Amino acid sequence: MSSREQILQALAQSSIDIEMPQADLSAFKSPATDTNTLLARFGESVTTVAGNLVDATGEQAIIIEQHINDLMANNNQVLSLVEGVSGNQQMPDSPHELQHIDYAILPAKFGVAENGAVWINTQMLNRHDTQAHRALPFICENLIIVLDKQNIIATMHQAPELMSLANDDFGVFISGPSKTADIEQALVVGAHGACTLTIYLV
Amino acid sequence: MYSSNNHAKNARIFCQDEGRVDWHSKALWNLRAKRDKAAASIPEWEALRQAGSQIKLHTLSNLSHYLQMFEKQCVANGIHVHWAKDASEHNKIALDILAKHQVKKLVKSKSMLTEECHLNPFLEQHGIEVIDTDLGERIIQLNNQPPSHIVVPAIHMKKEEVGDLFHEKLHTPKGESDPTRLTRAARQHLRDQFLSADAAMTGVNMAVASEGAVVVCTNEGNADMGVNLPALQLHSMGIDKIVPDHDSAIVLLRMLARNAIGQPITTYSSFYRGSKINGEMHIIIVDNGRTEIMKDKILAESLKCIRCGGCLNTCPVYRRSGGFSYNYTIPGPIGIAVGAQHDDSNTIPWACTLCGSCTYVCPTKVPLDKIIAHHRRLKAQAGKLPFGKKHYMPLVGKLMSSPTMLNCAMSSARVALKIIPHSIIKPFSGAWGQYRELPVSPKSSFDTWYKQHTAAKKEAK
Amino acid sequence: MKIALFIPCLVNQMMPEVAVATLSVLEKLGHEVIYPEGQTCCGQPMTNSGCFDEAKSTTLKLLNAFKGVECDAIVCPAASCLVAAKENFHEFDDSAEAQSVINKLYELTEFLHDVCPIASFKKPLDFTISLQLSCHGIRMLNLASPSESMGTKFNKVEAVLQPIEKLNIVYPDPVDECCGFGGTFAVDEGAVSAKMGKDKAQAHAATKALYVVGFDPSCLLHLDGMIRRQLLPIQTRHIAQILDAAL
Repeated sequence: MSSREQILQALAQSSIDIEMPQADLSAFKSPATDTNTLLARFGESVTTVAGNLVDATGEQAIIIEQHINDLMANNNQVLSLVEGVSGNQQMPDSPHELQHIDYAILPAKFGVAENGAVWINTQMLNRHDTQAHRALPFICENLIIVLDKQNIIATMHQAPELMSLANDDFGVFISGPSKTADIEQALVVGAHGACTLTIYLV
Repeated sequence: MYSSNNHAKNARIFCQDEGRVDWHSKALWNLRAKRDKAAASIPEWEALRQAGSQIKLHTLSNLSHYLQMFEKQCVANGIHVHWAKDASEHNKIALDILAKHQVKKLVKSKSMLTEECHLNPFLEQHGIEVIDTDLGERIIQLNNQPPSHIVVPAIHMKKEEVGDLFHEKLHTPKGESDPTRLTRAARQHLRDQFLSADAAMTGVNMAVASEGAVVVCTNEGNADMGVNLPALQLHSMGIDKIVPDHDSAIVLLRMLARNAIGQPITTYSSFYRGSKINGEMHIIIVDNGRTEIMKDKILAESLKCIRCGGCLNTCPVYRRSGGFSYNYTIPGPIGIAVGAQHDDSNTIPWACTLCGSCTYVCPTKVPLDKIIAHHRRLKAQAGKLPFGKKHYMPLVGKLMSSPTMLNCAMSSARVALKIIPHSIIKPFSGAWGQYRELPVSPKSSFDTWYKQHTAAKKEAK
Repeated sequence: MKIALFIPCLVNQMMPEVAVATLSVLEKLGHEVIYPEGQTCCGQPMTNSGCFDEAKSTTLKLLNAFKGVECDAIVCPAASCLVAAKENFHEFDDSAEAQSVINKLYELTEFLHDVCPIASFKKPLDFTISLQLSCHGIRMLNLASPSESMGTKFNKVEAVLQPIEKLNIVYPDPVDECCGFGGTFAVDEGAVSAKMGKDKAQAHAATKALYVVGFDPSCLLHLDGMIRRQLLPIQTRHIAQILDAAL
């Protein structure tokens, strides 16, 4: 008998084979809060998790472009997957070559007000470039996210209907820059992933 | 009767350095305080815990169904699924996959399951270099130690000790103990490891049955750095990691980081549902004693655990005895719950005052104090009682059930407390008198007082 | 009400003043109080060690002492023993008669809060007390909401004491961490138990209160030993003694 069969058979004899109903989670899917409240809460959460939030509404092109141009003028390697924003680097063949990227600019599908997280999946990464490497949001030195302010949800409970992985192999909630407190509980921003995270609201 | 590795003895040694105990206890209590603040910020927190418990119970009671659903979805997503009945089969499967791809270097992110299976030494014996990539895990790996906590594995080390270790192993400047600079040095060192690894392996926080996806949570980004560079990715999971769907996963995800360290969510919560371009993704589903635990209705609830470590942080005994005193990979209340049957010292179920704080902290309502008490009963039934209890408990039982005998014994004890100097009694009164003053002896028992009192009252009438 | 006293062996033998105060409080409140004979240990030292066979005889003797006793309530001034008695009676005797005893069991504070609240106190108490919120009382008897819980906050112990004029009630920090007694834990794990007790005793002393006041005599006995060993300027009192002084 294979291990698979042995495990499944042992489970048939387990003592908690009583029917437990599926939990009713509908109460958590709270009604929509107005955009301003969501934006304020999202902003607080992003700050809590050591991220930066920049309101670029209305003047999107100008603010972001200016920032990116400044970065490139300072000899930074910039790779953008956001439509209408161009960097100075192309997607390399191997993910390992991404190690030199100073700034990655990525679109996020939605943000979560309660924890400042943004959702990025392969669909979003491949929108601009069909061969995007999944390593990009992690290996870049600094991460810049562009997020439509209409796409902010109150809590994680509203996420599942937006985060369908149906045609995707990967998706990630990113909340702030990478961090660790493994040495004496002292918070250090910049562990293995990006050292800074800036979110542009458009 | 019990091995030298018993908890009380280890704890006594840990307690000899009181300054360190205070430091250790305070660091963990800070996490508990942060957890309280984060939990309090969610008005529906207690309802979430209830939902978390229900989700886990529902899944465990239909585990065979959900495991097969998960497998089916994974296969449809092009993921290779393997089943291991125990640790050695898990290790062999991992080795076979790695050998097939001629892997020389494996980067790993935190997985208590691979600790439980002792995977690292096994792979190293077979010529594969294993690099733990979580900073805390890397520190203890360089220091040749197991984790002392399931979420903050190097919590037992002071920054100066990490500084000395990094100076020796990573050539940081001598005397450097600044956490930021030490972390930067580790980032550089591990970046090189990520870029030169042939394969990556991670643990699994949740496995979503309806999607055929695994959820991996880290703050550092080490799991994702590992998984997304080399072509080959492996994920090891216990059978208890399954959740039915995204909605269920989200409930647990909302509580995991908040309950662990007071953060609203881990920095990275990744859902892997297939390999990268030209890559290969493997999932190893492991039993290793879990189906056995599920045969006991009380112990089975320990499988609701999501490994947040909240119970360790609140445990007054863990904080004052350290992670290495438990004689098991996982310390603290959850370590006792899932490890007591492996504990040949038979002492860890007694490393607990049954205060119940852990049960109230637990995000999935694992009844830890009841499970620990149950382990004591199982040990007693198996004739494996520690601390001489097997011999003295029947005597206590007899004494306590006889008011006359108890009265006799206690009145002589009261007399002894009164007439013999404390300095003489102390050595004879064992652990009580070693640490505390002996009770001030009352004149008589309440029984005696009551009889005199009622007699006097009658007379007065 | 007609009340039967349940005086656990530890209180009977080592802290009779707690039982005397309990009797006095209940009588001052106008209750008829009886003390059924033949009370033994509730079996907690044995069952907490997993030794159920050894606990059976003493538990059943204690249960028998209350079976057939005519009373409205059975009141006990020790939370931990009360919890153990409830559980152990149930474990060893599933008869209706046992259940009717179990249904009448109350811890003193619980009784004074839920069943027969104190209408008024006679004497002011002009001092500060630091409350010892012992584990089994708060987490198994719901005497107060534990600090871990995010549900509705309540505190029956404070509610019972609060009307006493001039009495100042404070708490140690952390507010409800275990004192480290834990029954046989105090001797099995002497080093950790002592460290927990020391920390707790110091936390109480740091409040500058005159007394540590609690509802669990075993915790108080342990804390008293720690306080005197550490020479801390605070003393332990049972809640019954405070109430008795104010009535």
